[in-house]
Amino acid sequence: MLKIKNLKLKKDNKEILKGIDLEIKKGEVQALLGPNASGKSTFVQVIAGNPKFKSAEGKIFFNGKEISKLSPEKRVKMGLVLSWQNPPAIKGVKFSNLLKKISKVPSSHLKLSKNTKIKKQSVNLNFLNREINVDFSGGEKKISELLQILSLKPKMVIFDEIDSGLDLKKVEMVAEIIKKDLIDKKVSVLIITHSGEILKFLKPQKVNIMIAGKIVCQGKDYRQVLKTIKKYGYEKCKKHLQAGLCANR
Amino acid sequence: MKNAKNIYKPAYAQIDNKTPKICRISGVEILPSKIAWEKYNWTKKYFQKKPKQGYFIWVKKNISSYFSTCVSIAAKNTKQNLQNLLVIEKNLKVNLQGICNSQRKNLSGQHKAQGKIILKENSALKYEHIQSWDKSDIVESDYQFILEKNSKLDYSYKNFQSPKKLKINTRINTFEKASANLNIIINSIQSDININDILILKEKNSSGIIKLRLVGKENSRISAHSQVRAEAESKGHLDCQGLLVSSEKFHSELACRRGRIVEKSIIKLIPELVCQNKKAQITHEASIGKISEEELNYLRMRGLTEKQAIDLIVNGFLEA
Repeated sequence: MLKIKNLKLKKDNKEILKGIDLEIKKGEVQALLGPNASGKSTFVQVIAGNPKFKSAEGKIFFNGKEISKLSPEKRVKMGLVLSWQNPPAIKGVKFSNLLKKISKVPSSHLKLSKNTKIKKQSVNLNFLNREINVDFSGGEKKISELLQILSLKPKMVIFDEIDSGLDLKKVEMVAEIIKKDLIDKKVSVLIITHSGEILKFLKPQKVNIMIAGKIVCQGKDYRQVLKTIKKYGYEKCKKHLQAGLCANR
Repeated sequence: MKNAKNIYKPAYAQIDNKTPKICRISGVEILPSKIAWEKYNWTKKYFQKKPKQGYFIWVKKNISSYFSTCVSIAAKNTKQNLQNLLVIEKNLKVNLQGICNSQRKNLSGQHKAQGKIILKENSALKYEHIQSWDKSDIVESDYQFILEKNSKLDYSYKNFQSPKKLKINTRINTFEKASANLNIIINSIQSDININDILILKEKNSSGIIKLRLVGKENSRISAHSQVRAEAESKGHLDCQGLLVSSEKFHSELACRRGRIVEKSIIKLIPELVCQNKKAQITHEASIGKISEEELNYLRMRGLTEKQAIDLIVNGFLEA
C-alpha cells in the first residue's frame, strides 16, 4: 500500500530526515514511536505531501504509483490521508462547511457519529457549527480530525498523535472508532503516539522507532517495545531494542 | 401566494435605460422617481434636482414578506444614472433586497446610483444590497440613510463580482435611540475600489456598528475610509478587516504574460473616530492580513485544490 525509499529532508543545512525506508501493507496497522523532535511529524507531513516540505528527496509509492511529486490533494484523492497533531484554526470557516466540501460520503451519512461511540460517549457535537478549530478543546480537535478522515473514505490513514491530550475514556472511544470504521474495513493505519494506551486497543502488527530522523528499529511485539522504552527510555533503549527486538524484522 | 410571488418578481425592475417594470404590492407605492417628483411636492427635499431615472418606494403599511428591486445593464456602453428614494412610515418593518448587476461580460457599462432612505419613527429596515458586475464596468453608489427616533437599520452591501472601478459613499444619520448596522462585504478581483462611509450618532442613545470585510485579489486596489462620529451620548463601533489573497495560478498566468511574477494588491484601511460628547463610547478595530500558508496546506491535505481552499477561506472571512 505504502512504500518509502530513502526519504531525506534538509532544512537550514540540518538533516531532519536521514534516509527513511518504510513499508506498510494493505490493512496493516503500524505504529511509529520516538522522542520529541525526532522527526516523526515532519516525516508524515512529507508522506502526505505538505508543500512546506517539497524539497524532500527520496521516493514514496502509494498503491504501486510513485506519488513523491504529487500535490497533497491528489494524494488524498488516491486515498492517503493524514490526521494532524496540531491542526490550525481557520477563522470564519464553519466546520460543517468543510465537511460538506470534502466529504465523499453522502450528506445523510455525515451524521455517522450518531451511530458510533462518539454519541454514546456524549461528546458535544455542537462544534460542527463553529469555526474550524477556533477555541476547540483538545478533545474536540481530535474528534474533528477523525470526522474529516472518515468522511474522506481513505485507503490509508496516518494518525499523528490522535490520542494526545485525551483522557483514557476518550482514547478508548477514538481507538474503537479507528478499529471499527477503518481497520476492520481493511484500511491501512500508521499511528504516531507517545502513549502506549491506544496501541493496546489497536494492536499494531509492527512498531517503528524513530530517533534523530532515522528509523533505528522495528519490532513486532508492541508490548515488548513499550516495556523496553518504559524501562530504558528511547536513547538508552536503542541498543537494547537493536539487540533484542530487531531480530523480529 | 401573493407574497410568494413578490419574492421572485422584483417590485421595481429596470434594464439599461428602458421604462421600468413595476409590480404592485399592497401598502407600498412604487413609482419612477421623476413621477414621484411631480406627484409629491415633499419629495423635493430629498431629491437634489428633478430625477431622470430611479425608483421611489413609499412603504405605508406592513408587508409580511420581503420585496426586491433589480437594476441591470444588458446592452453595451449603457450609462445609468439613478436617483432613488425609499421612505418607510412609522412603526413598520420592511425587508428589502436590492440587486444591481451587468447581465453579460464586456458591456463596459456605467452604473451610478444616488439614494436616500428614510426610516421614520419606530420603523425597521433590513436591506440586503447585492451587486454583481463585470471587469469592464464602472460603478458609483452614494447612499444616505436617515434614521428617525427609535428606528433600526440593518444594511448589508455585498459585492462578490467587482467592477473595474467601484466607488461607494454611505452616510448614516441616527437620531434618538436609533440603531444602525452597516456591513460592507467586497470580494475584489482586479478592481479599483474606493469606499467612504460615515456613521453619525446625532442624538442621545443612538448606536451603530460599521463592519467592513474586504478581500483584495489579483492587483486590486482598495481604499476604505470609515468614520464613526458621536455628536451625542451614544455608542458606536468600527470593525474593518482586509484580506490580501494571492494564488499560484494567477502568478503563473502573469508570469506567462509579463515574464515575471507580480502581485500588487493593496488594501488601505483608514478607520476614524470622532467624539464630540464625553459620554459617548466609540471604539474601533482594524486589521489586514493574508491567508496563512498553514491553513491553506491543511485544507489541501483534506483534498481541496488550492483554489477551492482559498475560496473556502475567503468566503468564511467575508461571512464572519
